[in-house]
Amino acid sequence: MTHALARPSDLARSGARLPWLDAMVMPTLVVLAVVVGYPVIYTLLLSTQEYNLLGTEPARFVGSANYHKLFDDPIFWQALRNTALYTFGSVAVSLLLGLAMALLTDGLVGRRGRFVRALLLTPWAVPFVVVAFLFRYMYLQNGGAINALLLTTGVIATPISWLNVSLLALPAVMVANIWAMTPFFFLIMSAAIAAIPNEVIESARIDRAGALDMIFRIKLPFLRNALLVSSLLMIIANFNDFAKIWAMTQGGPGYSTTTLVIYVYRQAFENFSFGYASAVGVVWLLLLLVFAVAYLRALARN
Amino acid sequence: MRAVAIAFALAWSLAPVYWMVVTSLKTELEAASLRPTLWPQNATGVNYASLWAGSLPFVSFFANTAMTCFATAIVAVLIATPAAYALSRARFRLRVPIGYSILMFRMLPLVVLLAPLYLLLLKARLLDSFVGLIVGFTTFGLPFAVWMIKSFIEAVPIEIEEAARIDGYPRWQILMRVVAPLIVPGLLSTGTFVFMEAWNSLIYPLTFVTTLERQTLPAALVLTFTGQFKTDWGGMMAASTLTTIPLMIAFFAVQRSMVRGLASGALAGA
Amino acid sequence: MAQISLRGVAKHYGEVAALTECTLDIQDREFVVLVGPSGSGKTTLLRIIAGLEYVSAGEVWFGDRCVNDVDVADRDIAMVFQNYGLYPHMSVYDNMAFGLRRRRLSPNKIDEHVRRTARLLSIEPLLSRRPRQLSGGQRQRVALGRAIVRDPAVFLLDEPLSNLDAHLRVQMRGEILKVHRAVTATTIYVTHDQVEALTMGDRIVVMNQGRIHQVGTPADLYDVPIDKFVASFIGTPAMGFIACRIERSSQGVELVTDSARMRLSPAKAQAVAKTTAERVFVGIRPERLTLAPEERASTAEVMVRGIVELVEMIGAEQYVHVATESGSLTARVPREQAVKAEKTVTLTAAARDLHLFDQGTGIALR
Repeated sequence: MTHALARPSDLARSGARLPWLDAMVMPTLVVLAVVVGYPVIYTLLLSTQEYNLLGTEPARFVGSANYHKLFDDPIFWQALRNTALYTFGSVAVSLLLGLAMALLTDGLVGRRGRFVRALLLTPWAVPFVVVAFLFRYMYLQNGGAINALLLTTGVIATPISWLNVSLLALPAVMVANIWAMTPFFFLIMSAAIAAIPNEVIESARIDRAGALDMIFRIKLPFLRNALLVSSLLMIIANFNDFAKIWAMTQGGPGYSTTTLVIYVYRQAFENFSFGYASAVGVVWLLLLLVFAVAYLRALARN
Repeated sequence: MRAVAIAFALAWSLAPVYWMVVTSLKTELEAASLRPTLWPQNATGVNYASLWAGSLPFVSFFANTAMTCFATAIVAVLIATPAAYALSRARFRLRVPIGYSILMFRMLPLVVLLAPLYLLLLKARLLDSFVGLIVGFTTFGLPFAVWMIKSFIEAVPIEIEEAARIDGYPRWQILMRVVAPLIVPGLLSTGTFVFMEAWNSLIYPLTFVTTLERQTLPAALVLTFTGQFKTDWGGMMAASTLTTIPLMIAFFAVQRSMVRGLASGALAGA
Repeated sequence: MAQISLRGVAKHYGEVAALTECTLDIQDREFVVLVGPSGSGKTTLLRIIAGLEYVSAGEVWFGDRCVNDVDVADRDIAMVFQNYGLYPHMSVYDNMAFGLRRRRLSPNKIDEHVRRTARLLSIEPLLSRRPRQLSGGQRQRVALGRAIVRDPAVFLLDEPLSNLDAHLRVQMRGEILKVHRAVTATTIYVTHDQVEALTMGDRIVVMNQGRIHQVGTPADLYDVPIDKFVASFIGTPAMGFIACRIERSSQGVELVTDSARMRLSPAKAQAVAKTTAERVFVGIRPERLTLAPEERASTAEVMVRGIVELVEMIGAEQYVHVATESGSLTARVPREQAVKAEKTVTLTAAARDLHLFDQGTGIALR
């Protein structure tokens, strides 16, 4: 019998009860209580106040007024929509691309294989701010590499101002995000594919499985768990994306690339309405929690 | 067929990086040219030189970023390790709830914490300071470190710790003398991850640091873009390249253990 | 005084009961073996004695003090784990010295102890190496050495030989016994291998599914098993069983079964008469069965006819597995006797060699 983990079900030691806390966990708890716990509670408080940092009036309690304002605020809803599009859209495409890359490079072995894999990972190693500025440069209407490429290959006739057209801005930002995020899925999927037991692949080969069958019927089921967990991780990370969007468009043009993060930031640090910003933040937090719980439940069920 | 696809994938992945580096070697004029060139006509290091000796305190930016990220990594690992050990091995009643809470903290939208943290740091007079920034970075660094280190600790066979208990050692000593030496690679890669996340952070430096000289690279890039670099794409790309290099080095250093750490977490079902 | 008593020790993990009502007395300097199949609770019991697990009920006494609340470090024990549990980042020397350093002994004293123990186990040349540079057998010795050097009152060994190959295992058994005799400590040894148990233990504790079935010397367990489990678990090859009915009449009791004739010895008849048992398992040790030709069979006290399922050639003899309608028996047959599979054969035995076990409870009828 191996006892890899302490068993929490072990209560009652001849009468003495287990302690509630452990000294070792205290420093972390204290730090997190101060830098996370306290701000969360304070945010809840702030959300019920009319608090303008620059205003002449002191903060005053307004109950749920901020929340009502929020529901009537069209920009809030647009930000929510943008966030959903940005997050789920980017994650979905990155996941597919990453999976495709992993399947493509599955057979590569040895130094060459490692080299190719390392190269494919590079986009993830680029700082988010740099990704933003780099793509911003490439998206320039005049002198941008992307327009140059599309013009010379004849795909378009006149240069497009990618980041200045409302309809195009969000997709353009998403492309940059996808570029930077794909290697993460590539890495996870590669590891997951490598973990598929050899015997399964070999039996499939003996049974003369075709290439497509091999991918969809044999390999994919093994990857389900990794797919779900990695996409949850990235969805949460994407919800938090600030640098990539801010440095590229600052939420513009208009509000076409404003996500909830950007919106909260602007409300808090451009308008200095801390109360309203906190309300938006709280709603967002609840949405995220609901999503995460639902997701984890779906995960646990399998 | 497969080779072609892989070639495309490689091109897709590397082209932008290539573009960044190449542009950094172009003059301001050439970089802004209406007809972009694949290779600089006169490759020049002037962009880099002006970063070093120019009007912008670029060296300060770099140093600030390096110091705060490094300090955050160390602090996070130091505080997280005992907590990870306790969550992994100790028996106390709040063990499971605390574990989940720390996981949940990881999922928090950081922006939600921004306003209260700003006010907190304002009152503690830690705005515009290294310590304040480190405090901010810890909000995401610490939960992450706890979970990563916990998985490394769980990989240590428990018999070794039991043997140390029988040998009469108290828990703190077992952690320091027996467990920690065995997870050093894990601690290093965790620290590097925290370093990388802190390096990438824009929203905290932007909010908490008000003096330009004390800024970190990401925030500095954004702030100076409107001024100095507005049309100087060559200079911008040079600054970007320099901002990228440390992160890339750190990334490739931990890349292999990243597979193990992330994959085992992802494969095991978080 | 390293006398150990367990009184009513029980252990559950949530709903699952790992140990039930374990009571055991171990004498000072005894070599006691806890043996049983996987999941029998033997390792749990060992860990409770060590103090690595808490009891859910009952008490553990070392001598005249109850050690339920005494921490591992204060129980004066040493343990050898199944996977050795050596400190990978320390040399063999440091592995052995680690515990001693805790006791504030002078470096000279520590050095003396370590080297003396290393000499005892012939691992002196390995002192500067790391565990990963050692073979399985060498690691095992180091684990032993680490335990011995602490000079404990109690030695606990958790299946220390199960990771070694067969040949090394036999060799190490002798080493462990030699060590036990050299140091004056009580030793508790856990194994799933009943042969190991029989060869090494002064007394053996047979466990199954969290309960202690029987405690006794190897001879006790072999000759007078308390129930069917112990009878089938101890002994190589395993005892075979035939299901029988009991017919009681005015003339006494009789065993009835389809393919056999079994006469009860007077002592057994008396034992059966005292009970209300209706169905029993009859067990016969393989060495008590003789493969007999038909003629001699008719006069035997016990006669079983069946079909040979399998013949295993062991070397000096054969194990013949015979199947009947109501059970199987195994007989140890001299090599010279020709036996073929799928032939019908007759086995004979003496009435006094029968072991009777109640079919319901498994308990022996004596």
